[in-house]
Amino acid sequence: MDDLERLYKTHYAAVVRFLYRKIWDADRAEDLAQEVFIRAMAHRPEKPRAWIFAVAANLARDEARAAIRRKKHLTLLKDDPIPLSTPEPSAEDAVDREERWARVTGALAALTERDRDVLLLWDAGLSYPEIAAQTGLAVGAVGTTLARARKRLIEAHDRLDYQARTAHS
Amino acid sequence: MTDWTIKQERHIPEDELHAYLDQALSRSQCAEIETHLSACKLCQARRSAVAALRDRTTALLSGLAPRPVIVPPSFQDLRERQSRRLALAVWRARLQRSSLWAAGVVAAVGAGWVARTLLDPHRTTVSAPLVAQSVATPASSPIAAVPAIDSASTAEIEKQATPAPLPQRSAVVAAHNVSSARSSRALVPAPTLQLASVVTPVTRAAVEGRAPLTRPAGNDPFDRVWRVVPWEDALQIAGSELPFIEGIPVVGVMFQPGVPGERPTVIVAQQDPNGEVIQSIEGPVARVNELRTHQPSDVHASDVARTAPDYVDGPGGMHRALRILTVIGRLPVDSLNTLARLATIR
Repeated sequence: MDDLERLYKTHYAAVVRFLYRKIWDADRAEDLAQEVFIRAMAHRPEKPRAWIFAVAANLARDEARAAIRRKKHLTLLKDDPIPLSTPEPSAEDAVDREERWARVTGALAALTERDRDVLLLWDAGLSYPEIAAQTGLAVGAVGTTLARARKRLIEAHDRLDYQARTAHS
Repeated sequence: MTDWTIKQERHIPEDELHAYLDQALSRSQCAEIETHLSACKLCQARRSAVAALRDRTTALLSGLAPRPVIVPPSFQDLRERQSRRLALAVWRARLQRSSLWAAGVVAAVGAGWVARTLLDPHRTTVSAPLVAQSVATPASSPIAAVPAIDSASTAEIEKQATPAPLPQRSAVVAAHNVSSARSSRALVPAPTLQLASVVTPVTRAAVEGRAPLTRPAGNDPFDRVWRVVPWEDALQIAGSELPFIEGIPVVGVMFQPGVPGERPTVIVAQQDPNGEVIQSIEGPVARVNELRTHQPSDVHASDVARTAPDYVDGPGGMHRALRILTVIGRLPVDSLNTLARLATIR
């Protein structure tokens, strides 16, 4: 097993999650994650971990540009009869999960792009120097950015939570 | 080093507490922080607050996963896709090179003719009427209906550049013949399953003149001819992707090649002990849906299930093309759904 294969096995899920939190499409996130590793096979980067996240971020950016076109395509696919019956979660569970989901994504959207990038890269397992190299920040500034991003994420989440509770009551 | 270790009244900055908990500091920085923490109640409390904030962030983000468990496809599969892509890139480069070469040859020949015509005024005055005449003469023959000859601008260019139009016209005829041979090949009706009285949507469509399965979707340059093959051959052709229902004898397998990068559309026909023939169809969504809909009224189709997708190279990089499986036959839909659930991909 070579280094890239090892990295693939240990980091594939992290790359999928990272991409997913940027493009919000599970299938597409997996496609792009595989694309990242296929490109890594051709490039054989010196610092593969930082490289795959840098490429993933670029692909996510490109994806955002093509989002409108692809949305139409996905809608068409959704019209097709797809799966055999799968167990449906109860309606209450689904609503609850959806609300929680909306709060977290709303909180994440409330961050500045830089804060969000740093937070997601940190959550994907990158070190401070790797985050600094990718975002152009000084290594010393990563801690400051992360501190601010975490605080703002929690504040935004709690604010949305409070709004949802008052709306329900 | 940091001021707060020397002046005890200063406390650890919050960003350094984050970096400390993220294990992003050097050993000596950690030692300093720990020394201060052991003596400072306020910083201990702030440390706990930062740890809680950090944990909450992690917990919130963990809810934003596409699936509870993310399983990577086999690395070997990725390798194969990469080598396929490399082969495609080589093929494209070759095609581009040969196109450039051909364009160069055409340009050189054209330039030669133009130069020759310009440099030899006697030849120009003689050849132009000849060409006009020779173009006009075959107008009565059926072959002269080739549209290129009708175009005034094309005729004008030919007048200037073509001293001997007859060989060129025969080349056009030859090309016309080749293209009609090619199109007649594309219109060959799809074969039926010959081993039993199988429900054959393909034949029916062909009889009705629709023949949808023999026509490639879009501008696919490859012919899509359905082939009937023995089970063993089909296994080899399709790799591990033959739809099959356990315990029912197979009476025939048909497949239709896909576009590059796409696996074939496969129909496996099986006959149950009552003589009913059921067909499992697996392939790209559009093709399978087309087959499902073009059925006689007494043939039903099960719901569809997703199978492993194709990864097809496109202009925007590699993309996933969904594939589905359905089972059709002269059985109630519920029975077909049950069979579809039993279907395995071999």
